[in-house]
Amino acid sequence: MFNYTFHWKQALQKLPQMLDGALITVEVALASMVLGIVLAILLTGCRLSGNRVLSGFATTWVEIARNTPALFQIYMAHFGLGSFGIHLSPFTSLLIGITFNNAGYLAENFRGALKAIPDTQTRAGRSLGMTPVQAFRYIIMPQMLRIAFLPMSNQMVWAILMTSLGVTVGMNSDLYGVTQDLNSLTFRTFELFTIAAVIFYAITKIINLSARLIAARLFRY
Amino acid sequence: MNKAFLVGAALAASGFFSAAQADQLDDIISAGTLRCAVVLDFPPMGMRDGDNNPIGFDVDYCNDLAKVLGVTAEIVETTFPERIPALMSGKVDIAVASTSDTLERAKTVGFSVPYYAFENSVVENEKAGLSSWEDMKGKTVGATAGTYEAIWLENQVKAWGTGTFRPYQSQADVFLALSQGQLDATVATTDVANANVKSGNFAGLKIVDKVPMVPDYVALITRRDEYGMINFMNLFINQQVRTGRYAELYKKWIGDGAPADLTVHGVYR
Repeated sequence: MFNYTFHWKQALQKLPQMLDGALITVEVALASMVLGIVLAILLTGCRLSGNRVLSGFATTWVEIARNTPALFQIYMAHFGLGSFGIHLSPFTSLLIGITFNNAGYLAENFRGALKAIPDTQTRAGRSLGMTPVQAFRYIIMPQMLRIAFLPMSNQMVWAILMTSLGVTVGMNSDLYGVTQDLNSLTFRTFELFTIAAVIFYAITKIINLSARLIAARLFRY
Repeated sequence: MNKAFLVGAALAASGFFSAAQADQLDDIISAGTLRCAVVLDFPPMGMRDGDNNPIGFDVDYCNDLAKVLGVTAEIVETTFPERIPALMSGKVDIAVASTSDTLERAKTVGFSVPYYAFENSVVENEKAGLSSWEDMKGKTVGATAGTYEAIWLENQVKAWGTGTFRPYQSQADVFLALSQGQLDATVATTDVANANVKSGNFAGLKIVDKVPMVPDYVALITRRDEYGMINFMNLFINQQVRTGRYAELYKKWIGDGAPADLTVHGVYR
């Protein structure tokens, strides 16, 4: 039987520490999204380039990012690179792991978005004298980002949740890390993780709502 | 009227059942199984042998306790952070998991008297070239998150005001990071450090120096209100020492020398 008396008052005293952690969590997720989007656009470019080496590289990246656990990717960024003598801080390892994952998923989102844009648009651009890169940059990419905008906000939510894997590589400043630290000090597992869950929920809800507001403003036809 | 009746009935029922309820000790005896949470990446206290069976000092303590209770022991592997959820959700009855008996934690779980006491040592990556524990100042150090030595080390890093502290989730990850050179040094219980250095699983580790901290007394834990069980565990620990079993298991798992003293001079417990 579950036999436990909640000490909410004591647990809530830790709230400021946990909110500091939440800020770090949002920072990591945001940074990984910005880097992830840039990389995903490059990967998409590689796949479109028609160059076999480049598109092979991009396909391999996407396959690994989408078909292995995020935990594995983050662990490899820390202990995997570590065994080759490349030592990254927990923060950097986590950021690299999530960015790698983000780029893979976003590249696939972008590919889907590209399929929704008729080929004839590129040809129309080319016939106006644009180079292939210009046609992609000025005609295709803005539409691609528009179509992929809501999936991108999903990935942002996913990035927030993935930060919780940072504890496996020694991260203790993010929301989950702070919670885990406090937990092992006080053993108030259920209160602390409930608070953490509520904070996570609030963050992801805010992201979803603001994404919808932004989309409504930006993409009115 | 209905509501008042229901509330009254519920109160009466809860009073009635709690008076008649068997405590945990009864439950374990009648179930015929003692489920112990043991951390199995913490040699020589808990580990796995070549056939993947749990072995170690903590495993033997669980088996001994089950034997005197007349029940079978069931070892449930947990990590350090998972001990408490496992205990509170009833997945295990007790934890024999080298749990340091801090007052902060005693607000949540019930501790027996200490069944073991660790000394702690600095272990370094040979390349770091430390010669005493104070040389850790300014280095990148780490330990297993939430353990007694991790709490000490983190506070020490804060007191020095220089260097970095990193907690990892398991003892194995700490030694992995140390042998890769991601950490310059760690503080680990001397027995665990010895066992890991000897195991040959981690290259380039060296035990440097003892750390001047109060011995890390560890106790058996169960739910805070299970006095019957806590009393039984206290007597069990006393009997283990009295009968020489404690010394025997010390010799078996840790090695020669006098087993750690479990009493504190000048005060009752």
